[in-house]
Amino acid sequence: MDTDRERHRARETAFYLFTQQSLPACKPVLTPGWVIAIFLFMGVIFIPVGLVTLRASHCVVEIVDRYDIDCVPEPSRMDKVSYIQDDSIPKNCSRFMKVHKYMKAPIYIYYQLDNYYQNHRRYVKSRSDKQLLDGQKYHDTSSCQPVESNNNRPIVPCGLIAWSLFNDTFEFIREGAELKVNRKNIAWKSDRSHKFGKNVYPFNFQNGTLIGGGKLNPEIPLSDQEDLIVWMRTSALPSFRKLYGRIEEDLDVDDVVVVNLMNNYNTYSFGGKKKLALSTSSWLGGKNDFLGHACVFAGCSSLTLAIIFMLLHVKYRRPYGDMSYLPWNRKSFSG
Amino acid sequence: MSGWDNIRSSTRSQQGRSHSLNQREPSRTVTLGRVQPQAPAFRTIYCNDRDANFAHRYRGNSVSTTKYNFFTFLPKGLYEQFRRVANLYFLMVSILSATPYSPVHPVTNVVPLSLVLLVSLIKEAFEDWKRFQNDMAINSTPVDVLQDQRWESIPWKKLQVGDIIRVKQDGFFPADMLLLASTNADGVCYIETANLDGETNLKIRKALERTWDYVTPEKACEFKGEVQCEQPNNSLYTFTGNLVIDNQTLPLSPNQILLRGCSLKNTEFVVGVVIFTGHETKVMMNSMNVPSKRSTLERKLDKLILTLFGTLFTMCLIGAIGSGVFIDRKYYFLGLSKSVEDQFNPNRRFLVVLLTMLTLLTLYSTIIPISLYVSIEMVKFIQSTQFINKDLNMYHAETDTPALARTSNLNEELGQVEYIFSDKTGTLTRNLMEFFKCTIGGEIYGTGMTEIERGVAERKGIKVQEVPTSINSVREKGFNFDDVRLMRGAWRNEPNPDACKEFFRCLAICHTVLPEGDESPEKIKYQAASPDEAALVLAAKHFGFFFYRRTPTMIYVRESHVERMGKIQDVSYEILNVLEFNSTRKRQSVVCRYPDGRLVLYCKGADTVIYERLVGGSDDLKKVTREHLEKFGSAGLRTLCLAYKDLAPDVYESWNEKFIQAKSSLRDRERKLDEVAELIEKDLILIGATAIEDKLQEGVPDCIETLSRAGIKMWVLTGDKMETAINIAYACNLLNNEMKQFIISSETDAIREVEERGDQVEIARFIKEEVKKQLKKCLDEAQQYFHSVSGPKLALIIDGKCLMYALDPSLRIMLLNLSLNCSSVVCCRVSPLQKAQVTSLVKKGARKITLSIGDGANDVSMIQAAHIGVGISGLEGMQAVMASDFAIAQFRFLKDLLLVHGRWSYIRLCKVVTYFFYKNLTFTLTQFWFTFYTGFSGQRFYDDWFQSLYNVIFTALPVIIVGLFDKDVSSSLSKRYPELYKEGIKNMFFKWRVVAIWAFFAVYQSLVFYYFVTVSSSTSQGSSGKMFGLWDVSTMAFTCVVVTVNLRLIMICNSITRWHYISVGGSIVAWFLFIFLYSGIMTPYDRQENIFWVIYVLMSTFYFYITLLLVPVAALLGDFLYLGVQRWFFPYDYQIVQEIHKDEADDSGRTDLLGIDNQLTPDEARSYALSQLPRELSKHTGFAFDSPGYESFFASQLGVYAPQKAWDVARRASMRSKPKPKPNKIN
Repeated sequence: MDTDRERHRARETAFYLFTQQSLPACKPVLTPGWVIAIFLFMGVIFIPVGLVTLRASHCVVEIVDRYDIDCVPEPSRMDKVSYIQDDSIPKNCSRFMKVHKYMKAPIYIYYQLDNYYQNHRRYVKSRSDKQLLDGQKYHDTSSCQPVESNNNRPIVPCGLIAWSLFNDTFEFIREGAELKVNRKNIAWKSDRSHKFGKNVYPFNFQNGTLIGGGKLNPEIPLSDQEDLIVWMRTSALPSFRKLYGRIEEDLDVDDVVVVNLMNNYNTYSFGGKKKLALSTSSWLGGKNDFLGHACVFAGCSSLTLAIIFMLLHVKYRRPYGDMSYLPWNRKSFSG
Repeated sequence: MSGWDNIRSSTRSQQGRSHSLNQREPSRTVTLGRVQPQAPAFRTIYCNDRDANFAHRYRGNSVSTTKYNFFTFLPKGLYEQFRRVANLYFLMVSILSATPYSPVHPVTNVVPLSLVLLVSLIKEAFEDWKRFQNDMAINSTPVDVLQDQRWESIPWKKLQVGDIIRVKQDGFFPADMLLLASTNADGVCYIETANLDGETNLKIRKALERTWDYVTPEKACEFKGEVQCEQPNNSLYTFTGNLVIDNQTLPLSPNQILLRGCSLKNTEFVVGVVIFTGHETKVMMNSMNVPSKRSTLERKLDKLILTLFGTLFTMCLIGAIGSGVFIDRKYYFLGLSKSVEDQFNPNRRFLVVLLTMLTLLTLYSTIIPISLYVSIEMVKFIQSTQFINKDLNMYHAETDTPALARTSNLNEELGQVEYIFSDKTGTLTRNLMEFFKCTIGGEIYGTGMTEIERGVAERKGIKVQEVPTSINSVREKGFNFDDVRLMRGAWRNEPNPDACKEFFRCLAICHTVLPEGDESPEKIKYQAASPDEAALVLAAKHFGFFFYRRTPTMIYVRESHVERMGKIQDVSYEILNVLEFNSTRKRQSVVCRYPDGRLVLYCKGADTVIYERLVGGSDDLKKVTREHLEKFGSAGLRTLCLAYKDLAPDVYESWNEKFIQAKSSLRDRERKLDEVAELIEKDLILIGATAIEDKLQEGVPDCIETLSRAGIKMWVLTGDKMETAINIAYACNLLNNEMKQFIISSETDAIREVEERGDQVEIARFIKEEVKKQLKKCLDEAQQYFHSVSGPKLALIIDGKCLMYALDPSLRIMLLNLSLNCSSVVCCRVSPLQKAQVTSLVKKGARKITLSIGDGANDVSMIQAAHIGVGISGLEGMQAVMASDFAIAQFRFLKDLLLVHGRWSYIRLCKVVTYFFYKNLTFTLTQFWFTFYTGFSGQRFYDDWFQSLYNVIFTALPVIIVGLFDKDVSSSLSKRYPELYKEGIKNMFFKWRVVAIWAFFAVYQSLVFYYFVTVSSSTSQGSSGKMFGLWDVSTMAFTCVVVTVNLRLIMICNSITRWHYISVGGSIVAWFLFIFLYSGIMTPYDRQENIFWVIYVLMSTFYFYITLLLVPVAALLGDFLYLGVQRWFFPYDYQIVQEIHKDEADDSGRTDLLGIDNQLTPDEARSYALSQLPRELSKHTGFAFDSPGYESFFASQLGVYAPQKAWDVARRASMRSKPKPKPNKIN
């Protein structure tokens, strides 16, 4: 009973305070002290964070090699598009990559495409997640326009994304011995196990007149076609990297890695670049100084501002809490 | 009077034609502003015969003011909603997003739209429900109706035309009815029309003599008659009709009609026949829909929205042109080689541009803040219902009236008011005249202190202690005089007892007051044309000269202590002549004959006119009295000089002949009477002067002073005479003797001279010239003062006639320029229409925000003309309140309403609007930057649900909390530093500059969001070497946006309550909860599973946490720097006040800290003391006397029949040979 009444009274009091607009409140006043303190605090937080991040990024060793032009034979360079579209010409090509710093396994192999609009609206929506999960059991492939069916039979996997699957392949040889490339577990687990069906096999794929990119082995279920899964996680920007595999051996300084690649994929039509990247990884990820730099910059500018404000505070102290600073009082003095 | 004649003549003409009624053509009656088409020109009502009336199907008496009913609610409500451009726009976008051109699922736009509509509809339904309940309560009020020779109680709504009903004392009339009989003698009843026109004085209605007897139910049920009358119309003051009884046709006039909304007073009960019911009653036909006002801030908001539309269009155009340029077959992976739909067809680039335009329109639709309007509405609704209506500081305990916000549209407008137009009577003053002081024979009596004196003393720093009133002091409404030297016959011992005696006799005899009620001093009531007169007679009563009876020729006074202490005797004075008061004479005289034959002329009037007519000699007395008059005047009292003169019989007789001659002359009677009066009103002997306090409403001077410090200019518009108005202006601190006053008056000799010649055209031309000349002179002078640095404050006083010409288009600009330079303006003798004209002159001409405050029907037009109308509620009628936007019980509450609620609402609304603008711009711009990197395809950056819930869930609540709770300084500080209000007048918080700063930071932040997140995620994240896709990046960016935008909100708060934490924290938590759930499930529903598991992938990397730390801070760094610099170098006034009172506890119990002067700096205090030094010339003596004609002045303006005139009162007295004791149940 008593608690009830108390609660009732408490509620009434709260409502009274609400209607009379006198709820207890904290009133922050941004005095110079606070401004300086907060800037200092920011500096103190962000400079170390930035340095740690930068260090992580610096630990990462990365070798990048652009191969799209060099892999086209000299005579064909005038018309790279017809070269790449001519199936009769062999597309193999060898590249040499020199390791300038010790690289600890696992070394990640990425291919990087530039000017490739994987985030174009027409491209992004041209897929059917239901079909990827259920295969031919799922018939509605209208979302896969314009690559939804061939010969009146649905394509699995349908859509532009799958159709344009990247199909350059890479082999790595060090000192005459082939480096083993692990191509398993390159896609996010959530994609593999939930978005691509275990019992869905490619069907009627790349059978049409126009062949975009790589073909798929119809014997392997989609959930194991990791190249496809990686490819189908569309990128955010028109310049992107995708994981190709892992070298699970360390590379020493001055090792030369020979890359035998099949230069199948057409980026010449639209002037895209193709790059191959070998990179180690830190706890934070690949080589990317941006975060570190941004943190350090934010921290440093905070510190600088704090110092500037401090100097100002010492030099031109504004009268705080002074009645005479109120404009109507000032006016009465001048007038 | 002429209006009255018209009515009567029309009645007569109808009577004459009554036999040929059927041939009468349908007439059109033109009434105030509305044309009423009327099918048959009359209606016939069979009294007491429901069956006969049934055929006519008159409307019932139930009244409905609801907007919707059960069936019309949805269609009508939706229609109302879609009349808003923003909603319509979103409807269009929603439809557009269902087409294939849309990059987003329809849900993106449909969900916010339907939520917004739902909230709005619920609000509408709630408001309509309240109206419905109100109607129900009124409709079921019981009323006595005659059924089977008995009075049966039935609810109002069951009432029908033709019913005979009984209304008891203090009851309201349920419908317009014809008065048949009253319990009072002569079929008279008294009604109060306060609900209709705000006048509280009782009006008399009189039944036709033929129907006086139908009082009892037995008798009443015998009544059979037909009423033929006009069709229902909205004219309150006219009625034409006939009552046909036993083949006898009796004309009816407004005098027999009791209107719905009035109440019965001083009458036990009346019996009447219902003629108009329900919506056909005159009061209901008058309640037209008040055009809803929109606040200036909202209108500016519309401009902002338009700008946003412009921005949206530009963004779409840029994107669309980009897409036209971009699209190319070479991007073979887009599958453009075969037949391609139009939107991506490289062969039809122009079409691509057009269609992409549509695409982008749906994509960027979030730039228009859809929930803005509904949020604002919600905030304002709570502000008005919970804060304004429930503020205890605006609650008037005596009348049990809280403040009432009748509209919630204008809350923030209250924070920007620059001009207040105030009515005088009932608003500034209580319309309660109290006898306060007097001077008799050069001696001041009365110890009280007026509020203005107290204020002056307080400003000087003198502590005023309450004067202890003597124990035996008499107090009555109208008499607030305390001085033992005059009471209970003590005046006999004063230095000049004879003067005292004449003084009291003059008070008791020289007036046109009519006594009512019991002839005992306790119970008597005085009916007077002006409350001043009543106060004077009342004073005489308390001094022992009790005026108790009046006959046409005699005045009876019960005099005490005249011959010796304690002796009481009844004395009758024969009244020979009454020389009436008018505005030119400014005096009133009575010639009377004592029982002993002594002939005396008593005269009272303005000091100027009395002094002119004094007999020579006794200069000392005149000088002392004049000093006293000035003293009274500067104390805000209304003064009258009293004088007398003994007449020799022969002188009188010869004069009386001239008087009678003048009185019976047919031409120029008024002027001739004045001339004759001049002959006898000379060589007067000064007795003394009275000082009446026109009781100001509580706290008025203080409130006005505070408001003027807040930069608000006060205009008093009153129907009173110039002297009265000036007096009140003095009393409430609007005028003082240091001010330079410009007086433009039509009461100059030159004008009067021309007027006497009587040529209307010439008069108009002359006055116009004169006004022009005066205006020009004043303006030149004003500008001189204005340019000099420390000139005096200026004040303008103008009367209604001059104003009429000054409002002429050619002079209007001059008037405006002059008046805008003045810190206070007093307009006297203005009509209701002029009040409205002046208001709209300032509203439209100066483009300043105006507020009108008034209490009566004559203020309605002014209240409606101003940006904000405030009605005084509680005592007076409802008309002003019904037309107003806010109703408060006392003028002084204006301080709280404007300085506290208005200011807060304004600041809050500005914050809400600019913040909305910022958050939507920021969000949409990130989309915009992304468009550049998608080949301008219009690919969405965010998931559909992110986008649709962004506005309605993830960022909705905190901004409402800010709109409700943000307080820069406490309410007591708001009142203590009224100057803070100036920030609102200057619109400091919603300038384009402010918006531009927000826009700048929105651009900056969106760039930070977009580039920081995309650039930093371009390599692998986490140690697994795997890469992020589009949806990982966008979810990251969205998380940053939600967190940052919510944190930014905290930065704009001046006070942070628990609710801020809860709402901001809640919004962020809501986002995370949502994304945890949303990305954790796969739905069987056919959609792309883009977001599946994304947040878990993100959260498995360190990258997520570092970015979440860095991006909001980097984004807010700029804002923080701006805030710091702004406060440091360009602080707002409120910020300085905040700093001064930084360490004080919050609102110590909200007690009023009215101490204005304890904060003065020494210099200020000295300068103030200097300014308060006594000056030599103080011209103001305070003469004021409401002319009895001023009511009829309004009446003639309105075409109103106004029966209450001084001579009417006298005539009524003369008709009643012997005042019989009436059953007076009030006391």
